Parts: sequence; C-alpha cells; structure tokens
Amino acid sequence: MALLQAIIDGLMLGGVYAVISIGLTLVFGVIGIVNFAQSQFLMVGMYVAYFAWAFLGLDPLLGSLLSFTLVFALGYAVQHSLIRKVLKAPEVAQIFLTVGILIVLENLALVAFGSEFKSVQTPYQNEAVEFFDLLISLPYAIAFGASVLAGLAVWWLLAKTWWGRSVRATAQDPMAARLMGIDPDRIYRLAFGLGVGLTAFGGAIILPYLTVSPSVGEQFGVLMFTVVVLGGLGNVLGAVVGGLAVGVIQSLSGLLLPLQLQNMVLFSVFILTLALRPEGLLRKSS
Amino acid sequence: MAHKESRAIDAARRQALMGLGALGVSSAVPGFAWAQGKTVNVGVILPLSGANAQFGINSRQGIELVADEINAAGGLKGLGGAKINLVIADSTSAPATAATVAQRMIAENDCCAILGAFASALTLAISEVTERRNVPLITMSYSDLLTGRGFKNVFQVTAKGSVIGKAQFTFAADLLGGTAKVNKVAILYEDTAFGTSTATGLRAAAKAANVEIVLDEAYPLGITDVTPLINKLRAAKPQVIFPVSYLNDSLLIVRALRQQKISALIVGGSAGYVIPDFAKALGDYADGVLSICSANYDLDTVATERYRKRFKAFMVHEALEHAVSLDVLAQAINAAKSAKPEDITKMLHSMTFTEGWAKAMTNGIVKFDETGLNTYADPVMVQWQKGELATVWPEKYAKTKFVARQPG
Amino acid sequence: MNRKSLIWLLLLCAVCIAPWLISANGYLSRVLTLLLLFAAMAQAWNIVGGLANQISLGHAAFFGLGAYTSTILLIRFGLSPWLGLAAAGVVAGLAGALLSLPTMRLKGHYFALATLAFGEVLRAVGNTWSSLTGGPSGISVPMASSGLAQMQFNSTRPYVYIMLAALLVTTAVYWKISSSRLGYALRAVKANVDSAEVIGIDTARTKMLAATISAGLMGACGVLYAQFNFFFDPESIFSLVGVSVRVALICIIGGIGTISGPIIGACFLLPLEELFNATLSSHGAGISQLAYGLILIAIILIEPRGLQALYARIALRFKS
Repeated sequence: MALLQAIIDGLMLGGVYAVISIGLTLVFGVIGIVNFAQSQFLMVGMYVAYFAWAFLGLDPLLGSLLSFTLVFALGYAVQHSLIRKVLKAPEVAQIFLTVGILIVLENLALVAFGSEFKSVQTPYQNEAVEFFDLLISLPYAIAFGASVLAGLAVWWLLAKTWWGRSVRATAQDPMAARLMGIDPDRIYRLAFGLGVGLTAFGGAIILPYLTVSPSVGEQFGVLMFTVVVLGGLGNVLGAVVGGLAVGVIQSLSGLLLPLQLQNMVLFSVFILTLALRPEGLLRKSS
Repeated sequence: MAHKESRAIDAARRQALMGLGALGVSSAVPGFAWAQGKTVNVGVILPLSGANAQFGINSRQGIELVADEINAAGGLKGLGGAKINLVIADSTSAPATAATVAQRMIAENDCCAILGAFASALTLAISEVTERRNVPLITMSYSDLLTGRGFKNVFQVTAKGSVIGKAQFTFAADLLGGTAKVNKVAILYEDTAFGTSTATGLRAAAKAANVEIVLDEAYPLGITDVTPLINKLRAAKPQVIFPVSYLNDSLLIVRALRQQKISALIVGGSAGYVIPDFAKALGDYADGVLSICSANYDLDTVATERYRKRFKAFMVHEALEHAVSLDVLAQAINAAKSAKPEDITKMLHSMTFTEGWAKAMTNGIVKFDETGLNTYADPVMVQWQKGELATVWPEKYAKTKFVARQPG
Repeated sequence: MNRKSLIWLLLLCAVCIAPWLISANGYLSRVLTLLLLFAAMAQAWNIVGGLANQISLGHAAFFGLGAYTSTILLIRFGLSPWLGLAAAGVVAGLAGALLSLPTMRLKGHYFALATLAFGEVLRAVGNTWSSLTGGPSGISVPMASSGLAQMQFNSTRPYVYIMLAALLVTTAVYWKISSSRLGYALRAVKANVDSAEVIGIDTARTKMLAATISAGLMGACGVLYAQFNFFFDPESIFSLVGVSVRVALICIIGGIGTISGPIIGACFLLPLEELFNATLSSHGAGISQLAYGLILIAIILIEPRGLQALYARIALRFKS
C-alpha cells in the first residue's frame, strides 16, 4: 500500500516536473543552448506568486499566470540582451553566460528578499482526500491538474498554431526558416520567454506545498536536467514522459531508501543516461 | 610575435604587481591590547541570516540584554570599569563560512572570547578555529562532539545532545505513565550535528527500555517537502513521535502530520519546537505540544522577565543560555582581573558560578568540567500552554502540571 | 634569460618575500595562500579545459575526493598527510579516469552537464555517508603539533610556500604536457576529433590521460586545502559555484589554454572577491556573490578569451 501511495505521489509530482522541464528542453531544442540558469527562473516564478499572494491575496494558482507572464517578459529580455550575443561564440562562453545568470539571479533574490523561507497559507494546503487507504494530497493533485492544463496548452501551441510551426521550423533549420520569412531572432526571444515562463509557472503551482527561498532553485536543477536528458534534449513529449518517470523514481527511492539518498538515484540515472544514451530514451526529435 | 608576447607579459606583470601591491597594503595587526583603554571586545558569531536567523536574533538579544546591564552597572569591575563591546558577525548558515568569519574576527579584532553560534554544525566549525588560536568559545549548542574532542577552550553551558535526547524519551515515558505504556515510537531528526547527537540519545534510551522504534530517519536540513517522510511515518503507525528539528522543518512536520491526520503524541527536541515563532505559525495547533529543552525561562522569572520587558516576548532558551554565557564570561574576567584569553580560560575551568544569570540554569549553578561541559545542566520537559512554555517535568523543576492534549 | 623569464622570476621572488612583510596570522596572509592554491587548481583545470577544450563544471568532485581521502586516512590510520597527498592524487586521478569513460563522446554542453552532475553526486554522497565523511557536519583535521611532518602550522607563512610549490608543480606539469606529444594530441583533438582519429591519434586514451592528470592534481590541492583550513564539509568542498565554477572562471579570465592564464586570473579574481567580501558583505548576504556573477557575465560578453586577449585588443586599437 505504501508502494502504491508512493507511485501515485510520484506521478502527481512528475506532472509538475514535466511542465517545469518542458521549458528547458524547448530552449535547447530551438535555440541550441543548455540554460544552466533555468532553475533560477523557477525560483523567480515562485517569488512572484508568493508576493502576489502576500500583497494581492491571489491564490498561487492564479498567481502562476502572473508568474508566467512576468518571467516570459524577463526571458524575452534576457534572450535579446544576453543570450543572443553568445549564440555564435565558443561553447565555453555560452556555458558560462548562463552560469553567470544563475549566480546573478540567485543572489539578486537573496539581496532583495532575504534568505528566510517563506510559505503561503491556502485553504487546501493541509487537506487530503482519502481513497481507501490512500491519501491524495490536495495541493499535489491541484498542481498536477494545473500541469496537465499547461501541458495541453503548450502542445496546442506548438502543434496547431502558426507560431508553433514557425518555432519547429526554426528549430529544424534556421536558414530555411529565414528563407520562408521567419525571423529566427524573434522566434528565439519568444521561445526563450516561453521556456523560462513555463518553468516559472511550474514553480508557482508548487508553492502551496513548498517554501520559497533564494536557494530553492538548487533542488530542481539536476532534477530538470535528468528529466530532459531522459526524454531527449529538445523533445517536448520526452520531457513529459521523463517528468513522470523522474517523479516516480524519486518517490519510490524516498520510500525504499533513506531520504537523503533520494537524489542520488536521480543523479545516477542522469549520468547513466548521458553515458549510454545521450539522445534520450525516446527516439524521435521535436 | 615576440612583440605581442611581451605586450601580453607586460599586462601580466602589471596585473600581478597590482595584485601583490593590493596584498602588501597595510595589514596592520591590531596591537595586543586586550583591554584597549576602557573597553573589552567580546566576539559574537550567530546565524543572523538564513533559515536559523530567528534563533540567531533571539540569542543576540539575550547577549545584548546582559551586556547593557553590566555596562550600565559600571562595567567590568575587575578591570576598573571597562565596558563590554560586542563585536557581532553573521555566521550565515554555512559551517565553512562560519569558520572564515571566525578567522577574520580573530585576526582583525582582539576579542577576549567568542560566543556562538547556536547551531551545532556552525559551532563545531568555529571551534576548530578558536581552539587553534587559544581563544575561549562559550556556547549553548548541544552536539556531543563539542566537548568530545579533548579541546581545552570550548565551554558548553547546556547538557550534551545525547543526554537531552535520552531525557526526551524518558521524561515522555514518565508523563505517559511509564515505559510499559509506550509501545512504538518514531524518531525523525535533521541530519546535522544537532539532530544526530540528540537522536543518538533518543535511540539508546528507547532501546534500553525495549521499546520498538518503528521509524528512525534522518532528513536533510533544508528539506522543503516532508510528505514522503510523513508517508513513511503513517505506514509505521507510531504511538509517540520524537522529531528533532530547527524551525522550518518543525513547522513542515507538524503541518504534514495534520494533513495526514496523524494524532500520535509529539515530543519535540527543542530548537524549532520551543521558539515563539512555532506557536505564532501554528496557532491553536501548538497548544499541548511537548518538547525537551535545555533550560526554560520559568525557572528564574526574576531575571527572564527583564528580557520580556525589553523584547516583548518570552525569553526562549537560546536567548537565556547566551545571556548566561556572557555573564559567566564577565564573572571570569572580573575574577581573573584580566581580559587575556588564556587567563579567562583558566578561570572558566576553575570557577563555580552561582551568581547572576547562572542562577537561571537548572540547579542555579554553572560549573565546567575539564571537557568544558556544564555538569549542573539538566534537561527539562516543557509544554506549550496558551502560548507560553511551562516546565512540566521532572517534578523538582516543574512549575505546572502536564495537560494531556485532546486528540484532533 | 629573456625579458619574459626575468619578469616571472621577479614575481617569484616577490611572492617568496611577501609573507615576511605581512603579519603571520593576518588576513592578507590567508588571502595570499588561497590565491596561490586557487591558481594551482585553475592550472590543473587548464589541462582539460585549455588543452583539450573540455569544459568541466565538476572539478570540485576531485578536489573534495582528495580532501576527504587524506583526512579520513589521517583520522583512521594516522597516515601522514604527505602520504595522504599521494593517496589523494591516486584516488582523484582514478575518479577522473572513470568519469572520462562514459563522458568520452559527449560534446560541449553535454560534457559540462555530466561533470556537473558528477560533482553533485559526490556532494550527495558526502552528505549521506556520514559514518565515513561525518555527513553534513563536515570533517576536521585532527589537531597536531605545528610542523612540516604533520603538514600543519600555527602560522600562515609556511602555507604560502606550500601553495607556491603546488602552483609551480601544476604549472610545470601543464608546460610539460603542452610541449609534449600528449599536448600535440590534445590540440589535434580540440581542433577536430575525427581528423585526429584519421591521423592516428587515440583520442580516447588522450582524453582519459588528460582527465586523469588533471583530476589527480586537483585532488592533491584538496589535501593542501584540508591541511590549511582544518575543517570542511560537503557543501563547501564540492561546491559548484565556490570551487568548480571558480577555478574554471579563474582560468578563463586569465586566458584559457595559456600557461599564465590561471595565475593572472587568480591575481585578478581573488583580491577582487576579498574586496567585495570586505566592503559589500556588511551590507547584506549575497551582494558580494552578486557582484561576482555580474563580473562573470561582463567578462563573457566583452572578451571570453580573457584578460590577456582583452589587453591585446585594447593595445591594438590604441596603436591604430
């Protein structure tokens, strides 16, 4: 029974991990860089939702839309002013630019908001629905629901809209896309914005059951990378599958092993995947 | 090519020389004037930022209260009225940073002693520095390691972690009517020096009483989602839960226990379970929660009410113990008539303190043995009753009776 | 002796004399010691980062492995830190070799990711395997009497010379590799792996050898740090930003792939960090790190090839 509980919790958490990671994989798939700072945008999204709750009384679920919007704008600006400048530079420059952004964002939050953990109080926070012997945590379930909606929205965006097709075209071949009248730079800005915005959205919806502090991004860093590497960097569907898998793996290892080893299993999965199958478990690309 | 190279080397030379120049700039060592004119520097290193900031602030307040009282009453009599000057630094929550802060403090200010740093992990790191520099360190951290390494300059005013953990179990059993009435217990603890030491005592006591430990888990200090931990707990069905946590984790745990509708008795391990913020955050749900503690303010209300008057909150144990630390330091300085670290250390080892704030500790006495441990410190069991912490066990210290909390 | 060598010799003399001009236990002494150590570490990183162009974000893993190896051996078996130095080099070197196996074919970003994960794995192991490492509370080098045999001193001065020796050793190793057959092979691999294979270079062995040497040197530096600081914990010794990124950054600022790069970078970055710490940290936690991050971004945007290249660019512009 505890096993089943762990699997269900894992799936719900996994849904959130999926949404958080789609952003990361999108950025790599379209723009071609690994954004080491991605988890910091999650932290920013969480803070936006927190302050929306503290000052505007908005439930984090609504606040998540605000998070998405604000961080989208932030990402748009970052792509334009910073990332664009290193797209043609050697890899070392690309890597260290996003690492620099990571350091700046985390410490900006530390300076601005202090290092205390902040949490919200929502009516459903401490509730759980009993289902035979299983306990479905309400904040988990709600976050999962929001993730599903967001995931569907992204799918619709990429598959069904003209913009989505432009994005996929640019990802496949920027030269050809330019010849078709698409401005790759504009696409990059929108894609980066969407990517970090999604991650921020993910951060906001998990605020009810977590606490926010400047270092919260660190917990999700390797997790996100494990998800996208499992699913294949650039593969959006892979991020979904990877997310669910990582959620379940993490939950089960938390149950079967001492709690502190939870992330060890993930790291091992991560390195093994990179070593044995860097293109991910799913074969097709975005 | 050679031209370009030499240009680059010029740059290198300039860079390096500038760098060295910056280093060579006055590194004036403060003169060895341990009582510069009319003040004595006392170093205070506490977590003033990060997860333990609230504890650090409380501790600092306790120290400030005593420093101001002593200075107002004419300063350190043994040094002709020299005033105490507190040199306060933020240890942050990283032990490595705390050690660097201690290095810097000792190198730049001639502190006669250092007080700090609340969290055992931080204090251990700082003690490595103070021991090597022969500066006395007075602390209220619990970890057994503090007094277990044969160090000569560390002084702990509280009981050891394992002793506190043992009391956490035995006193709880006493309150429930004896260990025969206790069947299954769960031990949860944060994984740094504080939690680990206390858990050792808990574990040993439970084993000695032949009580079944159904869960014995360490969790990472910065844990943000305790659901998996509490899931395990729920499956284990303990009768009594012994969590040892700082503040954020204590709140997470109690909330999660509520969410999962677990009604077992909670007996906390001090720190997060006895700070005013605990009751503030949990409201009614804090009422009735038990915790072991190294000291409590209701044992000497004459002294601790002064704190409440100034800082508008009850004198939580870390504030009290740091006040005691500064007071015994002052008494040692007065007795030695010197503010030299080695003289202070000698006094701290030889004196028996029965005056001033020492009276606020259990037995009214503070005496350090050769390992630096205060042998008169006894743990007490406290309970939240209407927003105040009341000492309820053992009988010789109890101020009121234990009130069994109704389930739900 | 040409001008270049003369300048370096003068610098060397200056560093040798400096500890006697400043207070033995003062803070400047400490900064100088750490500057030399980090320059040594950056030079070790330079072997893979500069010669092989493999950007590792996980070198802290080897640093920490070295530190823990010697300290644990000292605590458990009373093994002299000098022997511990050798043991640490071996353990870290082995780890480097092991890591290079699965990461052999990874390119750029993927390689950085894998090394980053490796560093994080070891950090988690350090935190979890408490019976061996002391867990999150860290581990202390047992107090011993001050002396060369114990590699522990009451004053900072002897440490300056030890770190200087470390810097000279790592620089010598870099120079030897750079001008040897291995260096030639590494440069070929850096230019184009496939072409290198075609001309008969065993790229796998080349990369692994570089990784092993780099890791081993890094591990030895870890021992020196442990003996200097007396205390460390998994968070600080395996730190991504504090160690891995920092040594890479030092190398990059000074000029990645150049022998003087790590030294110049350390002379620039460490005093700067200390300046920030001294002036800014009183204004709140995080400000000095924030400044550090902004500098990193500025360097990358302005001249990712480092200060030497920047100087050359400016000089050129002034000439024309």
